[in-house]
Amino acid sequence: MSMDPAEVEFLAEKTMVTVVPNFNQDKIYLIGGEIGPFSPSLPVDVPLWMALNLKQRQKCRIQPPEWMDVEALEEVKQKETDDKFFTAMPSNHYMEITQLLMKYAPEDIPRADQIRTLIKDIWDLRNAKLRSSIDVFVRSDVTHAKLNHLTPMEINTARPFLTRALDQMHMLRTNTQTGLKQTQE
Amino acid sequence: MFGEKALELIKELQRCLDGSLPPFNEEGVRQVLEEMKALFEQNQGDVSATVAGETGLFAGVQLRHAALERNKRCLLAYLYNRIQQIKKMRWEFGSVLPQDIRYNLSEQEVQWFNRYNKCLANYMRSIGEDGGLDLTQDIKPPKTLYIEVRCTTDHGEFETQDGNVLVLKKNSQHFLLRSECEHLIRQGILEHIVH
Amino acid sequence: MADLTEELEDESSEEGESMTAAEVLQKLEEAWLNEKFSPDLLEIKNDIVDCMLEQIKEMEENIRRAKKGDFRVGIHKMEIDRIRYFISSYLRTRLQKIEKYTAHVLEQEKARGSDETPQMSPDEYTFAKEYSENMENHFKVLALRHMPPNLQALDPKHTVMRPNLDSYVFLRVNEDTAGVLVEEETAEAGEEVIDLEKGDQLIIRYRPVATLVESGAVGLI
Repeated sequence: MSMDPAEVEFLAEKTMVTVVPNFNQDKIYLIGGEIGPFSPSLPVDVPLWMALNLKQRQKCRIQPPEWMDVEALEEVKQKETDDKFFTAMPSNHYMEITQLLMKYAPEDIPRADQIRTLIKDIWDLRNAKLRSSIDVFVRSDVTHAKLNHLTPMEINTARPFLTRALDQMHMLRTNTQTGLKQTQE
Repeated sequence: MFGEKALELIKELQRCLDGSLPPFNEEGVRQVLEEMKALFEQNQGDVSATVAGETGLFAGVQLRHAALERNKRCLLAYLYNRIQQIKKMRWEFGSVLPQDIRYNLSEQEVQWFNRYNKCLANYMRSIGEDGGLDLTQDIKPPKTLYIEVRCTTDHGEFETQDGNVLVLKKNSQHFLLRSECEHLIRQGILEHIVH
Repeated sequence: MADLTEELEDESSEEGESMTAAEVLQKLEEAWLNEKFSPDLLEIKNDIVDCMLEQIKEMEENIRRAKKGDFRVGIHKMEIDRIRYFISSYLRTRLQKIEKYTAHVLEQEKARGSDETPQMSPDEYTFAKEYSENMENHFKVLALRHMPPNLQALDPKHTVMRPNLDSYVFLRVNEDTAGVLVEEETAEAGEEVIDLEKGDQLIIRYRPVATLVESGAVGLI
């Protein structure tokens, strides 16, 4: 089974972000937990889907997550370049959150263009790494691989090709084995 | 050649790949079944002749049997894959198929469709404690998109999803949920302002 | 608007521990992911589905009672849409598997011991049976009954579609699990056993971890 990128984005929208509202409102009791209360200029944590909605209704300003900062991301990028393994990302949904905030709240993100470029660079670096590790994995004869720190969107990008290739290889391998057994018998 | 008609049916399925459904090939199906009948009768003849002492007929019988199996497989694959296509349309278009599609279904496929409709509806009604859940809705993850619209005519009052009442006057501009004003855009009462 | 009852009795847990609605929602999300990525049909999580539908219903009633123009209504509606999507998509994924592997899931249901938990809900089972009859009838009327007598039956060996349990899946480990047998011993190589550490992410064949998905020790991603 596969997953639509829109579904990964849907999951990402659950992430909590901080907004600065411009209205007064008591706590809101959602099924997923309570949110608020809201007072003008007082930062409050809400799920991203709600933040985007409030933003579109011009009821808040979104504070970029701490990691969405040029210096911090340059460090992440450097680490990703230096390390041959995948490094831990500051957010499991760094790509989707960046895309959504850039689309709906670009004026709330300082140095948005630089951040966009850095995120793209990090994504590309990790994808290149992913491609070469897939190459090693598929060529080797191992039965499984550890993929720590790979984010859901990255997994989703690799999924269709990788699972199909490995499924085929497993089939070929077991077929040769049973074939071998049959010739031996 | 044996199995040629059956192969034609399979090739026809290829044309379903774009999501369309060609008319049910009744003539093709009939010809495959006829070929099967002929093959079977020849085999029966050869088997009785063998029983009567004739030799050298076995290879022919085997070949014909293989052709029979192949015909059966192709025919079932043809029926099965058309059903998959029809099923997909049930989820896309709902329980009433557009006339031009319905026209291409065989009588028996229409019956299959009606039965599928019934058991799907029964199942969906059973979900939860009361009322059920229409699984053909919510196909894509929800996105609440607000869009800017301009009113092209004096339309009057409009109640938004969160209960606010707006007056849609000619040339007035509003910020509305796409889902709640889409029908007004289609009717030409509102136009989407693209910056 | 009335506040929601915070604590909910979770009927599925034997110890009678209670779960908050937020926790049940989390479970629904996990069930959705597992069902989406597992090749076979998993045990139905009926309690979770019913509980969430009940929550939605209550919330919709609250919305109906809300004052016009209440700012919270739009927010609550969005949340309801999100949860309803999880439920619909979850049940839809299951229905697709049931339609694809009808004969297989019915076979398994038949072979199930009375003390084992069923894979399907009673209504899914009814659907599977009716779907299977409809399909068989279709084949029979249009093709099989017009074929020579020795070809009129459907051979399960050729017609029953089965999920490929050896297909590869991505997973995250939720609980440390030692001694997972990945590969049986063969002529060329010994058996392969691995330990799973909480937090690890792996790509691996589904078969060796199938029971761990069902128990929640790992979650598919």
